[in-house]
Amino acid sequence: MSKSGSLYIERQSIFHKLDGSIKLLMLIAWTFLAFAFMDARVFLAMITLGLIMLKLSKLPNKAVWPLLVFIFIFTLLNSVLLLLITPEFGSELTGTYTKAAGIGFYTITYETIFYCVTLSLKYISIMPITILFLFTTHPSNFASSLNRIGVPYRVAYAVSIALRYIPDVKAEVENIINAQEARGVSFRKGDAGIGTRLRNYATVMVPLLLSSFNRIEVVSNAMDLRGFGKNKKRTWYHRRRYSKLDIAFAAAAGVVLVLAVTIKVGIGAIYWYPF
Amino acid sequence: MNAIVFEDVTFKYSNLDEPTLSNINLRIEEGEKVLITGKSGSGKSTLAHCINGLIPFTYKGELQGRVTVNGKEPGGLSLFAMGTQVGSILQDQDCQFVGLSSAEDVAFALENDCVPPEDMGSVVDRALAHVDMLGHKAQPPQNLSGGQKQKVAIAGILAMDVPILLFDEPLANLDPASGKKAMETMIDIHGNTGKTILVIEHRIEDVLEHGFDRVIVMGEGRIVFDGTPDRLLAEDLLPRCGLRQPLYVEMLKFCGADIHEEDKISVLENTIKYKDQVVTRYLEDHFTDKRPDNKTILKLERVCYRYYKDDPFTIEDISFDVKVGEMLAIVGNNGAGKSTLLKAISGIAKYQQGSMFFEDSCIDKWTTKQRALAIGFVMQNPNHMLTKSMVFDEVAFGLRNFGVNEEETDRKVREALKICGLYEYRNWPVSSLSYGQKKRVTIAAILSMGPKVIILDEPTAGQDYTSYKEFMTYLDEIKKTGVGILLITHDMHLALEYADSSVVLSGGRVIARDYIDKILADPLIISKANLKHTSIERMGRLYGVEDISSFIAYFTRRITGGAL
Repeated sequence: MSKSGSLYIERQSIFHKLDGSIKLLMLIAWTFLAFAFMDARVFLAMITLGLIMLKLSKLPNKAVWPLLVFIFIFTLLNSVLLLLITPEFGSELTGTYTKAAGIGFYTITYETIFYCVTLSLKYISIMPITILFLFTTHPSNFASSLNRIGVPYRVAYAVSIALRYIPDVKAEVENIINAQEARGVSFRKGDAGIGTRLRNYATVMVPLLLSSFNRIEVVSNAMDLRGFGKNKKRTWYHRRRYSKLDIAFAAAAGVVLVLAVTIKVGIGAIYWYPF
Repeated sequence: MNAIVFEDVTFKYSNLDEPTLSNINLRIEEGEKVLITGKSGSGKSTLAHCINGLIPFTYKGELQGRVTVNGKEPGGLSLFAMGTQVGSILQDQDCQFVGLSSAEDVAFALENDCVPPEDMGSVVDRALAHVDMLGHKAQPPQNLSGGQKQKVAIAGILAMDVPILLFDEPLANLDPASGKKAMETMIDIHGNTGKTILVIEHRIEDVLEHGFDRVIVMGEGRIVFDGTPDRLLAEDLLPRCGLRQPLYVEMLKFCGADIHEEDKISVLENTIKYKDQVVTRYLEDHFTDKRPDNKTILKLERVCYRYYKDDPFTIEDISFDVKVGEMLAIVGNNGAGKSTLLKAISGIAKYQQGSMFFEDSCIDKWTTKQRALAIGFVMQNPNHMLTKSMVFDEVAFGLRNFGVNEEETDRKVREALKICGLYEYRNWPVSSLSYGQKKRVTIAAILSMGPKVIILDEPTAGQDYTSYKEFMTYLDEIKKTGVGILLITHDMHLALEYADSSVVLSGGRVIARDYIDKILADPLIISKANLKHTSIERMGRLYGVEDISSFIAYFTRRITGGAL
């Protein structure tokens, strides 16, 4: 994370040029797609496409890897839990029962293992596009993107304000902790037990809340004095007219979404089990 | 035409019993440059709120009489309509910076006005260019200094193109040179656009040296003076109101100069006619310069610190010592590494190279807790330190954390409260104290733990002259008990009056370690460390005094009775 607390990484790529709202739209369509289906083929296609897009975005691997690893571990744990708790769930879906391993009356079926793989692919498939949105959208464009896809600007601006002040509040928390530490309050491992340390963190809340209220007052005065909330609409400094690229991607997202809905409604998306 | 008119205005906040403003009558012409000053609580901020519309729209209360701004009554309009008449720059540069970059912050008002994005660019660029910040257009606030943030705020108001600019304590958080630049920017804008400029500030000297038309002094909710700076300085009103006169004026008055409004002493050069009187007095008067040579209590040797391994050092090769009963001021520009240095000394930041010695023993391996008992750290913002509801408990907090028994705690707390003049407040809730009193509570809280060195970050920031003088007097008392005091300050006057000597930081390194009068007489150090030439130094040069440092020392010695 950079000093400003945002994930944005500056690069020259088509995804960096794309308007934030289009990327948000793509993210929504993509997520819908992932949740509408339960088909490993669809997910594999999505993952492949997603990885190609990630490659095109020129984001450094160093930034992308930790998140991919995180989601990988998450899905792995998820699968293990699934196998432990409902070892025969896959068979209920397919109606077939192929024993893979078992001790006593605890049996894992191949159907369940396949189900776990499909589910993991589903989660992983959402990852590339999410990374793309988070890392290639400049924080200045977040709020305007939300507003552009229909979120009221007061709500959207709250996102922007949060992005703006999180680093400041973080610095403030550090300050308060330092001030308390200087008076013998323990926050570090080894200085006191976990219970005491947690209680000490709670005492940080009093000064933090007081100073936050004060900050809110000043910020809201500053915003009022410069006319925030004056009109029903507002414009955004960083907002540009949609380019041909934006329209192309929006159209593609739209087509995919329509196709997905058609398939889902028409054929019905059933759980795909090839064996 | 009158830009602002107050007719018999009385205002009472709904949560207070007494009115904060009483019977205010005031007329400010279009294009005037006006300084509004007064002690904390004199009503000057409330006056400002009446002008920019926060009263009556945000702060509720009873408003009697009539306020008109450019012929319109705020009460009959909306806060937004007032925003098109008065542009306000608030004291807290950080909080008022709402954008994620300089350009966005400047564009904020335009966005709210639904200006199409295509048209914003040129307006924003022009406003940023006006305050010399175009090169920082895409920078996030975290990368900007306080002075730069303030310039962005000024650009934001310029982009709104309002006729009246209102500055609420613009100098409060800036280093001396940045404060001077901010004032110059303001004067520049006035020269180019002829806008009405109102500045609320208690640092009178720093404002008046830029040539203001008029000063309004507030006292207990009333206007106690309304006239030219020349008349104000000729009179003796400022000290009576608990406000500080410019240093050179104090010097003139001390030397018995007979000053009238016609002498126009608001311009320093006009005091040349008193040259003989002042110089004769200075040369005739002798005092011995006794500078104590006590034992060293804290010593730093080549200390280096950086936040991250790959970063360059924030502070590098820092060596100096603090003596028993010495008050040492650390001065330097914003970002010179002053706060980092204090953190390193207190043990909050673990320095990677170098050593520190406390009473001859090396303390490099001491934990933060161990250090806390020897070296007390008073943070800048008292609200960051205070966590208890009662004054006594707050001061006892540290001792109790260290497991000191209740009897001894009681004794030490009482002692600390007495030194800080807070004994009669011991059973008061902390929240009912003023800012200055809270600041003293934090000192007492540190003092009760019996440290031999106390370090303070900007101890007088946000306090007016009266409370700051009071506060420094208590510090002086503490110093006399043999405690070494280290403080960071941007206030050259404070350093001049109370500190025994000074360490000047620039770019993370010590560029000077000397008596403060020597430092303030050295133009090279002053410019390198973003300090400001004091008016005493300028006066000395104007009068052709050879030994400027001794002239400054003389002033400190005779006028303010400060250290040396």
